[in-house]
Amino acid sequence: MSFVKALRCKECGAEYPIEPRTICDNDFGPVEVAYDYDAMQGKVTRRSIEAGPRSLWRYRDLLPIEGEPRVGLNSGFTPLIRADNLARELGVQELYIKDDSANYPTFSYKDRVVSVALTKAMEFGFDTVGCASTGNLAHSVSAHAAAAGLRAFVMIPHDLEEGKIVGSLVFGPRMVKIKGNYDDVNRLCSQIADKYNWAIVNVNLRPFYTEGAKTHGFEIAEQLGWRLPRHTVVPVAGGTLLPKVYKAYRELITLGLVQDNHPAMYAAQAAGCNPVVAALEEGADLFKPQKPNTIAKSIAIGNPADGYYVIKDVRQSGGYGASADDNQIIDAIKLLARTEGIFTEPAGGTTLACAIKLIESGRIPRNESICLSITGNGMKTLEVMQGQFAQSPTINAKLAEFDRVVGQIAEMAPTPRSRRLAGAPDPIG
Amino acid sequence: MAKTTRKCWLTFEGGHQNEPCLWKMSTKYPDVVFDIRQASVQKDIGVMAVLFDGEESRVEAALQYLVSLGVKVDPVVGGSLVAG
Repeated sequence: MSFVKALRCKECGAEYPIEPRTICDNDFGPVEVAYDYDAMQGKVTRRSIEAGPRSLWRYRDLLPIEGEPRVGLNSGFTPLIRADNLARELGVQELYIKDDSANYPTFSYKDRVVSVALTKAMEFGFDTVGCASTGNLAHSVSAHAAAAGLRAFVMIPHDLEEGKIVGSLVFGPRMVKIKGNYDDVNRLCSQIADKYNWAIVNVNLRPFYTEGAKTHGFEIAEQLGWRLPRHTVVPVAGGTLLPKVYKAYRELITLGLVQDNHPAMYAAQAAGCNPVVAALEEGADLFKPQKPNTIAKSIAIGNPADGYYVIKDVRQSGGYGASADDNQIIDAIKLLARTEGIFTEPAGGTTLACAIKLIESGRIPRNESICLSITGNGMKTLEVMQGQFAQSPTINAKLAEFDRVVGQIAEMAPTPRSRRLAGAPDPIG
Repeated sequence: MAKTTRKCWLTFEGGHQNEPCLWKMSTKYPDVVFDIRQASVQKDIGVMAVLFDGEESRVEAALQYLVSLGVKVDPVVGGSLVAG
């Protein structure tokens, strides 16, 4: 049974049947999936959810599919980690990491949205799917399409790094390199979707695709023991994730599955591409588009159309935003790795670096629960970390030589424990 | 001549939000019908969702004219396309 009611315009509220539609005919506002929450009462419960599979599909009643899930049966339900080592470093009491760097099968939160989008594509009867992307999304569409037996077209800017291309090509999609930047690729994809009747996940299936992002928020709540973190910091690129995590929290509140603790949402962006955070800081409702210049390429979108809704939701929730420069992002990647053993991509480094700023500025109190959204895996962006570490010594296989260098090695890469053993001051006193 | 309908986001920045760009366009291309569906104008920036209707070549010329005035013209494709 599906609880989906309609597609509803976020601006004027006009409703449309469930179909591959992205915008409202009246005002061109984006449409999103609306549900019958009254009908869910008593049927969608903590128990019904907990009885589901250990994947994002345990929340299928809150997702826009009609039949059985077809794709991504092992995606989602990633770890929520109580990050006590990092909490000590930051001087906060209760800190959690929602770690989608461990998502399956392509190690980013995109496996959530693609699982839902491709399931919906199959329900609509599409046999060809695609996307415009430069990395994580292309990887995920390619992998899920391969598993589902769908034909996939991945459209990318022509000058992408070879490593990112291989990460998609290994799954066997048709790849087309487009001369131009992201905007050019995106525009072409909207024309392709119309002309060829393909399911371009982030174009004509966007309302369904974005709903998959809610599962990131559902899992945070369930894994916290059916409660919401008081503060959630989320990286912002096109603006999909933050509004959907917030929607997830509000849906759980509406259904009575969690208490309303007024969860505050915080936007994290790279300083080299921070249109949303700049608008938040200026008190503006509209952001000014920017030309990206940052190492955090997976979130380098200078003109995020859903940025308006990020600003709206951040304000409504009582949150705020912060941006971090490239050095701060790299430092944060290292900090997360050495304290919690999680290697994230620059988007995740941005989240942590911005969280540190929000904590230090007092925007996020140190004595309330905080959750950081880590959305991608650092193994995909190794080039960012090249040259960041001292050369390791090379020795002959002799114990005497190891004895000689072992002290140097400890100096080169101190762990929190070794620093404390060495008498370094406790960062939180 | 082929008729066309184009849905566009117009972004006005750098002082253009204080100029009557659409009026200028309409005096130069009176046969191109424009229909403002959504608008938000603030001190530093203005954004409009506009439907343009007319002969294909005239609509294209009118949009190019807006670009020449400094207006950013983007097709409505239904939300941001998230590269990632």
